[in-house]
Amino acid sequence: MIPAKQLLNEIVSSLRNVIAPAIAEPYPKAQAYMAAVILEFVMRQVEERSDIAEGKREALAAMFLDLSRIAGADRLVGGGPATDAELSKLIERLYTERAQIGEPAFTAANRLVRQTLRRLLDQELKVAGKGDG
Amino acid sequence: MADTRTTQEKIRDYLKGKLPGACDLALSDFVQTAGGWSHEIYIFYANWKEHGRERRQGFCLRKDPGSGLLRELSSLKEQFAVIKALEQTAAPTPKAYWYEQDPSLLGGPFFMMEKVEGEVPNPWSRAGKQFYAEAAERGRLPRSFVEALASLHNLDWRAAGLDLIGVPGPGKDFALREIEKWETLIRESIRKPEPVLTEVLMWLRANAPHAQRPAFVHGAYRTGNLIIKDDAIAAIIDWELQVIGDPMYDVAYVLSDLNREGSPLLSCVVERDFFLDYYQQLTGLKVDLEVCRYYEILYMMRSTAFWLSASGLFAEGRNKDLRLARTTYSVPVVLDMAAKALGF
Repeated sequence: MIPAKQLLNEIVSSLRNVIAPAIAEPYPKAQAYMAAVILEFVMRQVEERSDIAEGKREALAAMFLDLSRIAGADRLVGGGPATDAELSKLIERLYTERAQIGEPAFTAANRLVRQTLRRLLDQELKVAGKGDG
Repeated sequence: MADTRTTQEKIRDYLKGKLPGACDLALSDFVQTAGGWSHEIYIFYANWKEHGRERRQGFCLRKDPGSGLLRELSSLKEQFAVIKALEQTAAPTPKAYWYEQDPSLLGGPFFMMEKVEGEVPNPWSRAGKQFYAEAAERGRLPRSFVEALASLHNLDWRAAGLDLIGVPGPGKDFALREIEKWETLIRESIRKPEPVLTEVLMWLRANAPHAQRPAFVHGAYRTGNLIIKDDAIAAIIDWELQVIGDPMYDVAYVLSDLNREGSPLLSCVVERDFFLDYYQQLTGLKVDLEVCRYYEILYMMRSTAFWLSASGLFAEGRNKDLRLARTTYSVPVVLDMAAKALGF
């Protein structure tokens, strides 16, 4: 997801430079400009939710630890930080080295990875989903 | 000196050059449509006198705005060539008139085609859903929906010259090429790693199916991309994602829940059993539901690629369309659908 402040900044730019100038009627035109002004204030009020980043960090750290205990799949765990980027690399290696790892270890590791992916998705859905978050 | 003419005036002047026998040429009902993510679309009528007689013709103009969605994957020149090639076939499509590469004319490449008379109700709107549900009751439109799709899958694409868009090799090559194509867009668009998407992509690669037989595939065949007149498909439009490939790719799109938002009807217009029976009867193909399920997950990956690209264009300030900003929230939602389809 685009960070909230960056998103708001671009919406302000769109309102001010594209939408408002294209409106001929004075009242809605002024409303569009005012929305841009208000969003600039809102930008100073908002902060990214820390619970989402924290929830992801926990899920990733737990997965890398658990994966290091699966014989055969433990070789995939590098010494790097438990990040999204490391997880993406690990998933790629899991599939490309499937034959070497062996099917039982692949299945166990893939199950663990998918459980973690579900936890990561659930964090993102706190914002993007239809629920209250 | 700066060109101060409006877009409408530039198009009128361009048409004068293309219709040298036309006198008093004027445009009417000139509209820039709100739909379309990739191109600017203008619909209008040209009115003129020729040999003393009044003439009136509808046109549709698609223009490259320079920063639209899928710009790198969907060339206007190729779209024009495809629509032109389809004129010789049984597939209902608009007539293609002119393609122009020269940006000095309108500020970017564009092409002009026939404005096909009819309507394109939005299947996501309440009114659109009602339109399709009522048409489904009458029965003619569902038949026409299947017949138009079959007309694409039955056409001799080599004879029509449609191999210009590239031909995959046998077996898994079609699916692997599609994955590669969308992965390219993902690589260009992504700003941070998306491990769920990585898992989906790796699963797709590991499970690519063999194509049944190569056919000409629209790539986004659904209501909303079809012009309807008198309860029949007057034209298939939105020629941006066509490929030579597995016809099940289109069938999967029709079967997909992505395109019916709560309607019990496929694409909001056709009953599932009728679609499957009639399609198989018209094409002689056997619908493989397992393969369709695979392609449905591929479509989820494709949607993710769309939304990553769209939100990236907005975030980088390259496109000011607020609809693109909205798509940043669509990425986790469609990945959630893919994850559930894969069982997690």
